[in-house]
Amino acid sequence: MTAADPCCLSVAEAAALIAAKRLSPVELTRAYLDRIERLNDTLHAYVRVLHDEALSAARGAEGEIIAGRYRGPLHGIPIGLKDIYDTAGVPTEGGSKLCLGRIPASDATTTALLKKAGAILLGKLTTWEFAIGGTAFDTPFPPARNPWNVERDPAGSSSGSGAAVAAGLCAAAMGSDTGGSIRWPAAWCGLAGLKPTYGRVSRAGIMPLSFSLDHAGPLTWTVEDAAILLQAIAGHDPRDPASSDRAVPDYRATAALPELKGIRLGIARSMFERDCVASDETRAAFDGSIEVLRGLGAGITEVELPPLAVYGAAAYLIARGEGFAIHEKTLRERPRDYGALARDRLMIGAYVRASDMMQAMRRRRMLAEATASAMIEVDAILLPTVPDAAPLLGELGPYFSNERPPYMRPFNLTGQPALSVCNGFDRAGLPLSLQIVGRCFDEAMVLRIGHGYERATPWRERRPQLQ
Amino acid sequence: MADSVEAQFAAETELLALRLLPGQASSLVAAYAALRAMVALVGADYPMEAEPAHVFLPIAGAERRP
Repeated sequence: MTAADPCCLSVAEAAALIAAKRLSPVELTRAYLDRIERLNDTLHAYVRVLHDEALSAARGAEGEIIAGRYRGPLHGIPIGLKDIYDTAGVPTEGGSKLCLGRIPASDATTTALLKKAGAILLGKLTTWEFAIGGTAFDTPFPPARNPWNVERDPAGSSSGSGAAVAAGLCAAAMGSDTGGSIRWPAAWCGLAGLKPTYGRVSRAGIMPLSFSLDHAGPLTWTVEDAAILLQAIAGHDPRDPASSDRAVPDYRATAALPELKGIRLGIARSMFERDCVASDETRAAFDGSIEVLRGLGAGITEVELPPLAVYGAAAYLIARGEGFAIHEKTLRERPRDYGALARDRLMIGAYVRASDMMQAMRRRRMLAEATASAMIEVDAILLPTVPDAAPLLGELGPYFSNERPPYMRPFNLTGQPALSVCNGFDRAGLPLSLQIVGRCFDEAMVLRIGHGYERATPWRERRPQLQ
Repeated sequence: MADSVEAQFAAETELLALRLLPGQASSLVAAYAALRAMVALVGADYPMEAEPAHVFLPIAGAERRP
């Protein structure tokens, strides 16, 4: 991919050109479709490409823009959706044999909002089976591969979303995050991945995995692009009982505020130097990021959080208990139609007793209060997203997240907004990542810090080299 | 009385009427052991009044009779 390639443009860059009528949505869509045609057999990022539908939508967008009815920065922008987002009339199969041929009658709320904003749907993206099945080879869809090295794992569960954005197979994608499934592929694919506050973005029409831990959010090349997508999808939705009716601020304008003077950042060092020691390269990249942020005017201090394992235990019990409730009927009736990983990971939830679940929810409240207390003096918490760069595809064990836990689950449990940004590359050329965690409903702060960091560093200049 | 993790797992599997596929028990028992360790880590020694993270919220308008 070269800088002149339209598939290399960020959403913000493409939007500026489209608004100025210097870039045709039809040509942009065609460029992405050509690139998908060339690379998807290698990357397996898409499970379904909507070639004709995308071109038709792009022609419609182009007509509106020429007629002076420009809708905003997503108008004419080609995107992809993880295949657990319902799309009216288009199969949404959740990466599972159980849902082959499942065609929703209506769009997920987020799907509808993105269409309303003028986004062009290129297709549906690979997902771990039901967003839990891991990198599996016994489901109807092959696992996505990491564009930075196709022998490597892109992470999941929004694996296709991460691979597609990194490879320039769409301008932006949507994922879901129950224990890190937006931030993890963002980390290993070198992207911005935003898990908004619980309740900020509707989950209606997205296949559930864990009612109280599921979040929907974007994976994008830049933080500014994440702000653009969040603007389109944030807000109250009566279809989602957990949806918040808080006012939605102007994320893009806030993210663009200059410098970070007066912002206080707290390093959660115990998580990655005591609880699960991050690799040397991850820690070196983190230290470098701190110096960049300090140079931008942010005040740096340390915060102490409860042990990572305690957050992980509470999140695990809740996720498995809720997941089993969702899948119990089909696990009992059609167990052979699940891949082995999804089947085991869901079935273990049967062994979560009612009292286990309630104790986990009591612990959850305590952990959320402790985390909020740790943030009294700071505007955001900083830590790596994951301890290591991407391993070989298929190398992750079934209980990898318990053995070497990433640093993401705590914030599914607390519901706080958390953003992963690329903060460098290891010696093998694989992306490393920084996680920025804000107060609940303060996505604007998280985006501002991430955007400031991104503008001050050269990491967005490097793209995966794909033939 | 089940006294090993394997025996506890087998007893609970029967109690839950779960029909495991051939070979599944050997993979699930490790997950079961990890799950019980997490239960221990979460603990059960809370003050009586400690509320869970989510409590029921009445749906707006439901209190009004037609």
